[in-house]
Amino acid sequence: MNAAMGTGYARHANNSMYAKSFKWFFAILAGLAQAQGATAADDCKGPSSECVAVGKWNFSVALGAGVRSSPLATGQNIPLIIIPQFSYYGNRFFINDLDLGFTLVENTTNTFSLVASPGYDRVFFYRSDVQNIFVGGLPGNSPMAAFVVRPAAGSTQNPVQFPPHARHYTYLAGPEWTFKLSAVSGQLSVLHDVTDQDNGTEIRAALGIPLVESKGSLTANLGVTWKSAAIVNYYYGSPGIYEGGSALNPFFKLGYARPLTGKWRVSAFAEYERLGNAIANSPIVEERYVATAFVGAIYTF
Amino acid sequence: MSRRTSMTRRAIAPVFVLSALMSARQASAAAAPDPSAGDIRLELSPRICTLAAEDKQCDTWVHARWQSPHEESLCLVIVERPEVKRCWEHYSQGTYNIELVFSEDLIFQLKDLDLRRVLASEALRVIRAAVHYRHKRRHPWNLFD
Repeated sequence: MNAAMGTGYARHANNSMYAKSFKWFFAILAGLAQAQGATAADDCKGPSSECVAVGKWNFSVALGAGVRSSPLATGQNIPLIIIPQFSYYGNRFFINDLDLGFTLVENTTNTFSLVASPGYDRVFFYRSDVQNIFVGGLPGNSPMAAFVVRPAAGSTQNPVQFPPHARHYTYLAGPEWTFKLSAVSGQLSVLHDVTDQDNGTEIRAALGIPLVESKGSLTANLGVTWKSAAIVNYYYGSPGIYEGGSALNPFFKLGYARPLTGKWRVSAFAEYERLGNAIANSPIVEERYVATAFVGAIYTF
Repeated sequence: MSRRTSMTRRAIAPVFVLSALMSARQASAAAAPDPSAGDIRLELSPRICTLAAEDKQCDTWVHARWQSPHEESLCLVIVERPEVKRCWEHYSQGTYNIELVFSEDLIFQLKDLDLRRVLASEALRVIRAAVHYRHKRRHPWNLFD
């Protein structure tokens, strides 16, 4: 009971500190936005791989063959066959698939936005998660099953049941900074659960490095996703059976795209994400990585 | 001496202006409506076609209507559209409907039957909605970014 109260207090204190930091951050950004006035993307004069028309919906669909592995002991790989994508960019507001955002400041090299993005981990637990529409066509129905914790090889312990618990949709929101340094682009977001499910924090940081720019483009992305203990335990923990700390997941992604005739372009990518120890050590996790690969074509409407 | 020069200038200036106006009138005589044509009125509907950001050209029905206090013999034509020509003989009014696909301004003209004199002219303007662009968000956590 005391422990529970202590944890609750610590969580409250963390949230309070987080809220205070955010207030300062937003105040600074709001000041910058006021000083700058409207958004200014002077180097965007027409449609390109980096620029998009304001006030227009963009729809595309990828058709091909691919798969995303599941790290869970009872998980099934997610097929990538038909993948719809959509986006809308207003002067400041934008929608990028399931991400929403509001740009506070934008210039040729830096963009500061407030964004909301779904928590990703749920896709491994529910095939019906809406995010699976955007990674592999129509989601199926897979009722959540209890996990059987297998003891380590050579252990004399009996397998224990890892009781099922609901993992609800979560949305994380917070500031995002994207920047361009020469040809390299970078991104840093500090997000917090605003759906009051896991009350966790996630930090996403990545760099995009163009390797080849000719008829086709080859780009490398490397980054990390840091998940607080609250997120790790909401998805991969169970009180009394497994409680982990925070996890740092580094990833590397190589993507290739080349225009074809008309509105078609060929696209391929391969991504490897290594799961942090706190996730990989969970009894319900069998693989300590998530691998994703896809080859196909994208049609833009 | 200086006062006389000034007066001479004042007298010469209107002559230059008149001369310039006359030569300008001669130069534009081929394109501008002939004032001797009287009060022939040409009206178009629509008068403006507004292209949205994603539109490349206008595709619309155009209704042209002309009217004169006197009987006229004339033809309705569109500049640089030789395929469009509708003529009337001894009429004081007329209408013409046509479906057109265009991406630039269209100039409708009423001409005499020899197609030499312009009796009335009206433009169907193309206005393009200003398209603004901004940076696309890169998000490597999405599959195709």
